[in-house]
Amino acid sequence: MKSKNIRLAVAVAVAALVAVPMFAARGSANFTRFVVIGDSYGAGFQSGSLNINHQVYSWPAIIAQQAGLKLCGPTATATDNCFAQPLVSYPGIGPELVLQNLTVGPVSQSGQGTPLMTTFGRPYNNLSVPGATVGAALAITGAEAPSAGEPTAVTFGRFILRGLGTEVQQAVAQHPTFIAMWLGGNDYLGSALAGTDKALTPTDVFAQRYNAILDQLVAGAPDAGMVVGNLPAVIPPIFTLVPPFVINPATSQPVLGPDGKPIYYIAELGDGTVGQLPPGSLVLLDARAQIASGFGLPPVPPFNALPNAGKPLPDRLVLTPTEIGNIVTRVGEYNNVINQAATARNIPVADIAGLFNSVTVNPATGAGGLQVGPVKITNAFVTGGFFSLDGFHLTDFGYLLFADQYIRAINAGYGTEIPLAGVTPYMQQWPLPAQAGIPPGNASAGSIVVPDSVSIDLRTMFGAVPPARHFRAVHH
Amino acid sequence: MRSLRFILITTLACLVSAAAFGAGFSIFEQGAKATGMSGAFAATADDPSAIFYNPAGIAQQRQLSLLVGGTAINFSNEFRGDPNSIFTAGATGQYNRHTFVPPNAYVVVPIGSNLSFGVGVFSAFGLRTDWQDPWVGRFISRDADLKTLSVNPVLAWQTSNGKFAIGGGVEYRRAKVVLNQNLALPFLNPFTNRITDIANARLASDWDSSNGWNIGFLFKPTPRWRIGAAYRAPMDIDLHGAADFTAISTGNAQLDALVAPSIPVDQPINTTIPFPAITNIGVATTVGHNWTAEFDIVNMTWSRFKALPINFETTPARNIVRPQNWDDSNSYRLGLNKTVSSNWDVRLGALYDENPQPIESVSPLLPDSDRIGVNFGAGFHAGPFVVDAAAFLLHFKERDTNGHNLDGFNGTYKTDATLWSLNVGYRF
Repeated sequence: MKSKNIRLAVAVAVAALVAVPMFAARGSANFTRFVVIGDSYGAGFQSGSLNINHQVYSWPAIIAQQAGLKLCGPTATATDNCFAQPLVSYPGIGPELVLQNLTVGPVSQSGQGTPLMTTFGRPYNNLSVPGATVGAALAITGAEAPSAGEPTAVTFGRFILRGLGTEVQQAVAQHPTFIAMWLGGNDYLGSALAGTDKALTPTDVFAQRYNAILDQLVAGAPDAGMVVGNLPAVIPPIFTLVPPFVINPATSQPVLGPDGKPIYYIAELGDGTVGQLPPGSLVLLDARAQIASGFGLPPVPPFNALPNAGKPLPDRLVLTPTEIGNIVTRVGEYNNVINQAATARNIPVADIAGLFNSVTVNPATGAGGLQVGPVKITNAFVTGGFFSLDGFHLTDFGYLLFADQYIRAINAGYGTEIPLAGVTPYMQQWPLPAQAGIPPGNASAGSIVVPDSVSIDLRTMFGAVPPARHFRAVHH
Repeated sequence: MRSLRFILITTLACLVSAAAFGAGFSIFEQGAKATGMSGAFAATADDPSAIFYNPAGIAQQRQLSLLVGGTAINFSNEFRGDPNSIFTAGATGQYNRHTFVPPNAYVVVPIGSNLSFGVGVFSAFGLRTDWQDPWVGRFISRDADLKTLSVNPVLAWQTSNGKFAIGGGVEYRRAKVVLNQNLALPFLNPFTNRITDIANARLASDWDSSNGWNIGFLFKPTPRWRIGAAYRAPMDIDLHGAADFTAISTGNAQLDALVAPSIPVDQPINTTIPFPAITNIGVATTVGHNWTAEFDIVNMTWSRFKALPINFETTPARNIVRPQNWDDSNSYRLGLNKTVSSNWDVRLGALYDENPQPIESVSPLLPDSDRIGVNFGAGFHAGPFVVDAAAFLLHFKERDTNGHNLDGFNGTYKTDATLWSLNVGYRF
């Protein structure tokens, strides 16, 4: 009888032990005071703009709502129990790029938005500052004196951080119960956008700063749950809108040289030499004006009619395969740092790299893309649905997918069952209501012309060029 | 999958599965007396609805009889999106309210002393899943509507001592199906960054028909025991009809113009719907003076439903064959009848009905599931008049697709149905 009881007790104890989750993340998934540290992605920046229409779809805002929190409106006060973001009036800072005509392409709205909550009486829950690197999250407080050519993070930090401390300090000051963080994108994207692999944050510096951020958060909020995310090495559309070879504007096809191959632009190759870009090179959007005046083109007819034919494209407007390889390698090193730093502190890691890989279509095979209900989400410009009209920030839908990767990581780490954010709010109302009246865009305020490749893509998608091979796909 | 045409084809493929109903689209309630006993009626078979349940049963009915009625069916249901699915998380849906009344009518004519002739008209199969707009599953199915009507003349003969009877007949069945869904832009609308409808597709067949047969046996070894068995043959009905596609504005004229050529042309279509064989076997006994109890097993050969083709006659390149892979299913039915007075009977029944639908096929077209039902009934007879009524509460077990749906449309379906049957009869 007694030994039976003991055996029962042992069995119960073993069962209890077995029931403990394999991965016990630090703290708990308590979202009472939820703060977010991040960059432009975290802020909900899209289509060249930070504005209220899209801030409510930022990935932190989506996680907050899935966890049961309300979003603060622009008139909320410090005592309101809501998830506060530094809301900016439409058309935003800067004015949002909108698409009103497929032929014209995205155009900027006119005017400028203003911050709506500068006197909000507590730090924002979403402390993401566009332009923030891991270094900026530790250094910029919003109290910096204005200066010409100041970093983006300083400009945005002025109304987001408001001199109340760094992102990390303000997060800790809120006695957070849960902290989500995504940083590191600007530690390589800024360099890539400058056409170089020379401005990447060194890996040892990245490691020191990333660990310093986590140390400060853990010390300041030892009981808080946490989640971080890894970094994608996918090439966003802004780098692929201008092909690296000469295009015949009349046919939208590459101009072929005497050898029957595309004529790659001549450029400074980043290693001190000048030469033709190797296949696989990327040309930045700003190179278009230079190419129009002859830069990068060989000094032979018909190109030598242009004033600058024979002059190379400057290094800052091109990325060679060597440079791209170095950047991708560095992202891998950053991800190792993130994984090690997070694992050491029992912090789950959201697979953001995996998300970006899943939407990326292999240009050679056409394979890839993420099917969500009736739509396929890809990395294509304009039609892909993932990257916004500025070519490297995400759309509302993209940030939804981003948030869901974080929710998956939280659920896996904490054994919670926070529901994923679904796409029902992203279905166009049907039947369609009367037009809400989008303000007309101002083409002169700056625009991105949809490259011919995109419109060809669109026409192909819609079957204007009948792709007979697609019928065969039916039989799969 | 870069072409919209491909998407249209795949969505049409989904649409086709609308015809893939299930045990869910058989209607076994074809008489209020039998319904009051949960359909356990193969061995009792003592009113004209025996033409449906067991044609041998009309041999024991030695009066010219008429029986007319119907069953009013109401569904209440709820879909809840899978919290782990980006497409359906947070979504909900339910059917529009409808009352369906499949009718039935029977006549039995005795010939001589051992033979009976009868004709039954009934609707043994049917379905409606009409989701309320705005419905997140509208790209798979908005509305599916299957109607059938059968005419079943039978002849039955019994031995002079009444211990053994055999009956059989031929069945003429006609069917009509209407399927409705929306087609979506296969990528996000670049102007609104939203999932966008581009067309409505309505596939409607004409009434088309086929022929089958049924047979039954009834054996009464002792005055207290009865054994009945019946078989209704399987059938395939070739359906011909028309596909109508109506464009839906995306809200942008430029996009509408690009989309327009990709919307399929209206055209004739055809398909084939397989109907299962139905075998029901029952044992009934009389307990004391007033009680009758019957237990039946009903088998339906839904495994015939392996695949469903849809053929587009103008553009055969769009033809589709949609796998279904259903299983045979059984239902287990217990019914009690108590005679409380010379005019009144009361009835009680219970059933368990297995669903034939593999989890991959559980979809807005027909979210079937195992069912549990209880039945209550009463019968009144005075002189030549007979009135039977039954109430039937049917609960579908909650069914979660657990991420397995073929269209990636996952979630939990909950369904309940209430059925009211009424028949009036006259014996000459």
